[in-house]
Amino acid sequence: MTICQFFLQGRCRFGDRCWNEHPRGGGGRPHSAGPVRGAGGGWGAASQRYANVIQPPIFKHSTWGGSGDGGGFSGASDFGSPGNKSAVFSQNRFSALSSAHPADGFSDEEQRLLDCVAKDMATWESSGQWMFSCYSPEAGKPNVSGFREFSAEEVRLEYYNCSANNNTENYINSVNQLVQEWRNRLQELKALNASGKESLLSQLKNAVTQPLPSLGFGGQQASSFGFPSFPVSSSSSAASFSFKANPSVPPGNAAAVGSSAAASNPPTFGVTSSPSVPNPVGSGNSSAPSAASFSFKTSGTTSGCGTSGLSGFGSSAAANSSSTAPLPVSATPSAATGTSQSGASSASAAQTAGASGHNVTSAPSAVPNGIASDKLYTPRSELTAEELEQFEAKRFTLGKIPLKPPPIDLLYL
Amino acid sequence: MSLFGSTSGFGTGGTSMFGSTTADNHNPMKDIEVTSPPDDSISCLAFSPPTLPGNFLIAGSWANDVRCWEVQDNGQTIPKAQQMHTGPVLDGCWSDHDAPVKTIHWIKAPNYSCVMTGSWDKTLKFWDTRSPTPMMTLQLPERCYCADVVHPMAAVATAERGLIVYQLENQPSEFRRIESPLKHQHRCVAIFKDKVNKPTGFALGSIEGRVAIHYINPPNPAKDNFTFKCHRSNGTNTSAPQDIYAVNGIAFHPVHGTLATVGSDGRFSFWDKDARTKLKTSEQLDQPISACCFNHNGNIFAYASSYDWSKGHEFYNPQKKNYIFLRNAAEELKPRNKK
Repeated sequence: MTICQFFLQGRCRFGDRCWNEHPRGGGGRPHSAGPVRGAGGGWGAASQRYANVIQPPIFKHSTWGGSGDGGGFSGASDFGSPGNKSAVFSQNRFSALSSAHPADGFSDEEQRLLDCVAKDMATWESSGQWMFSCYSPEAGKPNVSGFREFSAEEVRLEYYNCSANNNTENYINSVNQLVQEWRNRLQELKALNASGKESLLSQLKNAVTQPLPSLGFGGQQASSFGFPSFPVSSSSSAASFSFKANPSVPPGNAAAVGSSAAASNPPTFGVTSSPSVPNPVGSGNSSAPSAASFSFKTSGTTSGCGTSGLSGFGSSAAANSSSTAPLPVSATPSAATGTSQSGASSASAAQTAGASGHNVTSAPSAVPNGIASDKLYTPRSELTAEELEQFEAKRFTLGKIPLKPPPIDLLYL
Repeated sequence: MSLFGSTSGFGTGGTSMFGSTTADNHNPMKDIEVTSPPDDSISCLAFSPPTLPGNFLIAGSWANDVRCWEVQDNGQTIPKAQQMHTGPVLDGCWSDHDAPVKTIHWIKAPNYSCVMTGSWDKTLKFWDTRSPTPMMTLQLPERCYCADVVHPMAAVATAERGLIVYQLENQPSEFRRIESPLKHQHRCVAIFKDKVNKPTGFALGSIEGRVAIHYINPPNPAKDNFTFKCHRSNGTNTSAPQDIYAVNGIAFHPVHGTLATVGSDGRFSFWDKDARTKLKTSEQLDQPISACCFNHNGNIFAYASSYDWSKGHEFYNPQKKNYIFLRNAAEELKPRNKK
C-alpha cells in the first residue's frame, strides 16, 4: 500500500477509512496540530474551540462544567481573560491525553465526572450559596441523589406558617436537620470511597432518561418533599439556624431514597412527625402540594393513593380531596398543608430513626422493596393486613398511612 | 417627560431622596425610591402594558398585599391601590382585567385569553377568568419555580432542574422538555425575542450565580447556547473561594433586547447577550434584590430591594425597610455593538 501523504502531514481526511497506509510514526501529529488556537480572540474563537471537532468532546464538557470557566463567559464579573482560559484548556487537554488511570478502574470520562463532582462540592461548601438545591455535574445528566430541593420561598413560607403558630422551634429544628443532611451528603461526595464512586457513576449513567423523579418511586432524588418540620431531638430552643455551624443532629444522614450506596438511615418520612401540632393548618407544610398532585390523577385533587416513601403525604392526599382546584390562588396551600402535617403528627411519638409505628420501620429495611423499586402498585400479597385496611378505607387514618403504593385493583382510575 | 425621557441626572427628580445616606447603603445608585413600599419583602414587580396610558407598577409582597403605584414622568410615585390576600403574594402580572397572584402570566392568543398559573402543586393551570374551574391543567414533573410567557411561547422551570417549553397556539401544549444547562436549582426564567419580535429563546437563572442563554432552535446549539457567571464576589480571582449568590430575577429590555439580572448579592447587572458582554454592574445594596422589571417601552427599570431568604430566617429582619427603585433605563441598556 502506498503511504498516505496527507496522513504524514497530519491532515488525512479519511482517517481510518483511508485506503492508503498510515504509518504509526506519523500519528502523533494531528493532535499536536490541534491546540489552542485563537487564544486571544474574542468569543468567536472561544466557541470555535468548543465546537472543534479535532478535540474529543470531553473537553467541551470539562471546560464547560468545571468551576474554572463558564461555557461562554469566563470569570465572574468580566468576560474575557482569554489567556486564563487557554491555559486551563490546554492543561485539560494534555491531562486527558496522557492516558487514563486504569488503576482506578474508571475511564477518563468517569474520572472527569468524579473530579467535577468533588470540585463542585468544594465550591458549594465555600461559596455560601443556597444549599437546598438539586445538583448535577453536567447538563444532560440526571440529578445526584441525596440533595433535597427547596426554593427560598418555600422555606420562607414554612417559617411564616410556623411563626403564625408560635412554632418556630419546629421550623428551626427541621431546617437544621436539613442543613445537616446536606452537609453530610456534600462531605460524602467530596470524598467518595470506591463503592461510593461506583454508585454515583451508575446513577449518572442510568437515570438519564428519568426526568420525573417526582413520581417518588425509586430513582434519584428525594423529591419527596416534605418540609419536615419534625423535631429531631427535643427542641433546642436556641438552635442557631445558621447555614453554617450546626448543633448535633442525631439521625445523621437521612439521605434520600436509598439509591446511593452510602446512604444509610432513610426514614425521613416516617419521621415527619411533629409532636404536638395543635393547629394543623398552621404548621403549614408547603410540601403537601407535591404530594397532592403526586397521585395518578392529573388534576389537583387526589384520592387516597398510597405513596411510597411519602407516608406523611398519603394523608394529605386523602384529606386534600376537599381542597379544590384553585390551589395556587393564595399561594399558601394551607388546606393541603395542614393535613399533611397533622398526618404526621399523630405518629408523634417518633422522633428520628425508626419509631413511628411499623410503617416506618418497615420502610428503611424495605427500602429496596417498597421505595426504591419502580413499582407503581403493590400486589396484595405484599401488603400487611393493616396496610390493606388503610387502602380499602375511605380515608387514611393518620399514623397508619402505608408507605407502599396501593394494589392496582384498589385504584379508581 | 422631564425624567424618563432625558438622560440627564435624574437623581435630582423631586421624589423621596432619603437624606444623606452616609452610613446607610440602601440606595447606592441614587435611584428614585418608590413611596410607601410594602412592609415585607417584595417578591415580584410588574409594569403595566402599553395599552394602559401612563406607567403603573405593581409589587407583590410577603406582607400579603399587592400594591400599585402610578409612576409619573417626573419620577413621583403615587400609591394608588392596595389589595390584601390571604397569603404571601409570590408573583404578579398585569392583564386587562385584574392582577392575580402566584407564578402567573396572562396569555392573549388570537383565539383565547387566559391566565396561566404555575404552582408548587406541580400543575400548570389555565383559567378563563370568568369561570371558577381551570380550562386546562397540565402536569409538571415537579414544583413550578418560575415561568415566563411571550406569546406563543411559554417557558416553565421547575424543581429538580426541570425545564419545559410550551407552545400556546390554539391550545397550550407541551412543546419540548429541555435538559437543563445548569447544575443547580432554577430560580428565574425570562424569554427573549429575536429581531422580528418572535420569542426565540430564554434566559434561565439559578441559585448558583449563573445564567444560561438557551435558544429553542438554534442553527448551532453548541455555539449559540451558553452560560455565564454572575452575581459572584471576587470576580476574576478564581483561586480563592468566591461567594456565590442566587440570580433572583431576569428581565429583558423590550426594545434593545439586552437583559438585566438581579441577585441575592444586592446588585443588578446589565448584559448584552449577543455581544456576550456585561454592560454594567451596580453598586451593592445592603439587601438582596428580589425582583426586577422593565416598563413597556424600556425607559424605566424597576428593582426591589428586600430580603429573599437566601440566608435563612436568621438574617430576616422584619424591621428592615423594603424598597423599590426606579431607574432610567433608556441609555444604559443599549447593546454594545449597534446591530
